[in-house]
Amino acid sequence: MRLEIVCAGIGGRGVLLASTILIEVAAEAGYRAVASDEYGMSQRGGSVVSLVKVGDFESPLIGREKADILLSFEESEFYRNLAFLKRGGTALVNTGRKALDGPVADLLKDRGVPYYLVDADGIAVEKGMMQASNMALIGFFSRLGVTPYTAENMESMIKRRVKAKLVEKNLEVFRAGYGYEKG
Amino acid sequence: MKKDNSTRREESGVPLKTGQEVMIGNFAIARGLVEAGLDLAAAYPGTPSSEILPGIIEFNRREKGSIHAEWSTNEKCALEVAFGAALAGKKAACMMKQVGLNVAFPSLLKGRHKAIQGGLVVISCDDPGPQSSQTEQDTRLLASLFNIPVFDPASPKEAGDTAYYALQYSYDHKTPVIIRPTHRVSHAREMIDFFSPGLRKVTLNEGVKSGKGRKLGIVASGMSYALARDVISELALEDAISLYKVLRVFPLERGVIEFAAGCDRVLVLEETDAVLEALIDGGERVFGRRSGHVPGQGELTYDVVRGIVQQVTAEMGIKAEVFTPDPAIEEAMKGVNVLPRPPKLCAGCPHRASFFAMACAYPDAVFPGDIGCYTLGIAMGAVDTCLDMGAGVTLASGFYDTFKQDGDLVPILASVGDSTFFHACLPPLYDAVQKQKQFILVIMDNGTTAMTGMQPTPQTGITADGSPASSIMIEDIVKGFGIEFVRIIDPYDIPLMIATTKEAYDYLRKEGKGPAVIITRRECILTAKGRDVAPWDMGRLEEDCIGCKACVKAFDCPGLMFDEERRKIRIDQGVCVKCGMCYFACPTSAEGKSLRKFRDKRSREKG
Repeated sequence: MRLEIVCAGIGGRGVLLASTILIEVAAEAGYRAVASDEYGMSQRGGSVVSLVKVGDFESPLIGREKADILLSFEESEFYRNLAFLKRGGTALVNTGRKALDGPVADLLKDRGVPYYLVDADGIAVEKGMMQASNMALIGFFSRLGVTPYTAENMESMIKRRVKAKLVEKNLEVFRAGYGYEKG
Repeated sequence: MKKDNSTRREESGVPLKTGQEVMIGNFAIARGLVEAGLDLAAAYPGTPSSEILPGIIEFNRREKGSIHAEWSTNEKCALEVAFGAALAGKKAACMMKQVGLNVAFPSLLKGRHKAIQGGLVVISCDDPGPQSSQTEQDTRLLASLFNIPVFDPASPKEAGDTAYYALQYSYDHKTPVIIRPTHRVSHAREMIDFFSPGLRKVTLNEGVKSGKGRKLGIVASGMSYALARDVISELALEDAISLYKVLRVFPLERGVIEFAAGCDRVLVLEETDAVLEALIDGGERVFGRRSGHVPGQGELTYDVVRGIVQQVTAEMGIKAEVFTPDPAIEEAMKGVNVLPRPPKLCAGCPHRASFFAMACAYPDAVFPGDIGCYTLGIAMGAVDTCLDMGAGVTLASGFYDTFKQDGDLVPILASVGDSTFFHACLPPLYDAVQKQKQFILVIMDNGTTAMTGMQPTPQTGITADGSPASSIMIEDIVKGFGIEFVRIIDPYDIPLMIATTKEAYDYLRKEGKGPAVIITRRECILTAKGRDVAPWDMGRLEEDCIGCKACVKAFDCPGLMFDEERRKIRIDQGVCVKCGMCYFACPTSAEGKSLRKFRDKRSREKG
């Protein structure tokens, strides 16, 4: 089994926590998992990319058009990292938009990329926890049936990796993301 | 590295494996050192090495050990403290980034000949790219030039095992040993097994890892090896290419030379210089940096390695799956406006206020800069140079002498942070004082080493593990040098900062001596977390905006966005800390207008 995931977002918005949960869920399920993070010179607000590779790999780096999944925690970072995504890969985008612009939507269609526009910020704000939009996105991700990322596995890791007093709130946002319906 | 992964129990009843945890390579290194019986660790923080010392402190705490761990004032101090312990029979380690090794090099060079009684491991983390250094530099090159054993691990797990092995190796061979992880190894994360101290089983993982043919061989070490392995797999070249993994780059195993000699052609993949390539010395048969097949600078990313392997196999007529990038991706992106995200000082950063005032006081000054967060002052036009630690002061001296020679005194405004001041600025400052160099030195004192993750400075008054320590105040040092003009101000008081800068320059001209020192003291916004910031009402900035963008240009704050549709500034509430300093960059605000008097004065001077 081989799975390459790109987590892309901006600083201070929980990209690294999300990728930590992804790598630990995989390790817990008995897979070799490696991650590599890039967060530039800026402490906050700059681009953050975390690469997660699960299965029979040596390196933690992902090549162009190699990723199976692109998790975009911020819309602009989706475009910036789109070249990572392989033909037939899957994209999740945190955005309030109902549709992508024509040329991008056409590109994804041509490349056989199913994509999901998830208003993770909206979900998180509704639950009163803007900083937890990362949870909404991985909540939605966990219903796509990608091994080993079941909602159960993810929730149990969230309980272990999120600060005790924030666990309940994070799980609430995660579950709202899981049950998100467009429109 | 082959390792016994079983959980069977030793005869003593102690379990071999005591736990596991996902962690970064630097923590894996710390774990390896602690398990190997480390006695003393000293380091100066520098990306990508900074997490090793905190890791040692953490694992020492968990093992209830008695390791002495300290942040040193610079890398030379760290190495010599560790060397002293090793001379006296202890197992010691010191940590630094690759350019830090230069600072420690004099003692390492001599020290390699002194038979140590204990063990000494130097961990020098390289930064291919570079991502957060002034230059790339290959630690392996220095080590191999001067006969110091050096290891180049390929993963966090291997880095931990190597640390364990290297400390024992040093102890057994009575020689200092260097480990050179690159940032991709130091900062990658994976599951790391824990063992009871002294019970890890490690053998070096080197040799042929895949392939049987000898038409084309790849010799690789470190992250380049890991990438080569993945690329060979992607391009289905396992049968066509033989891959040899090197971990100990110096002294090189015979096996590598024999492997290379037995292949028709050899591709060498390594970061960042031609070290293995030089040691193998395979002449025309080698594809590498000398032949131009491997780029001479920059990180060997997945795409770069894939490109190199494709090019080499194509030249040799070896059949491989070919990856061709899909140009439709870039084509579709043409219409998308992706916000650029250049690195910026944090919203509310006291350095930004200092730089703004400096550029406001003397926009045409020469601004020698230094190494730290505040190198980013370059975007505000208040940093012109970035050479190495301490060069802010020495370059200021050099510029002063140059202008003086030409009979022209111009404002020179050097900046340096508090940690860098202690690290490297004292000898340059002796010179500047003794020779009366007329420049202004702004010491930006935010109370911490912010760039690398908030390590204490000698002034902070705490040790590496957080216990209290004595504090050495910067102003005491500066005054002790005999510098007469010393002012300590809050950089958030921008009018005062501008006035003080002007006062300092007047002093230099009038008294004919220098330098003048301004200490701008305010806690780093990341450690202060909003404490001590009287929140401003930011509404006026948006409401009264005339769309001139002066604040965006002059203040460069991540909290300020320009709304092109409304033609007005918009404050990002999630980022803004309401420090209000940007009001001074707004020409229509009362605060901005209050700065006019400084500007008017200068134009009169010029007129």
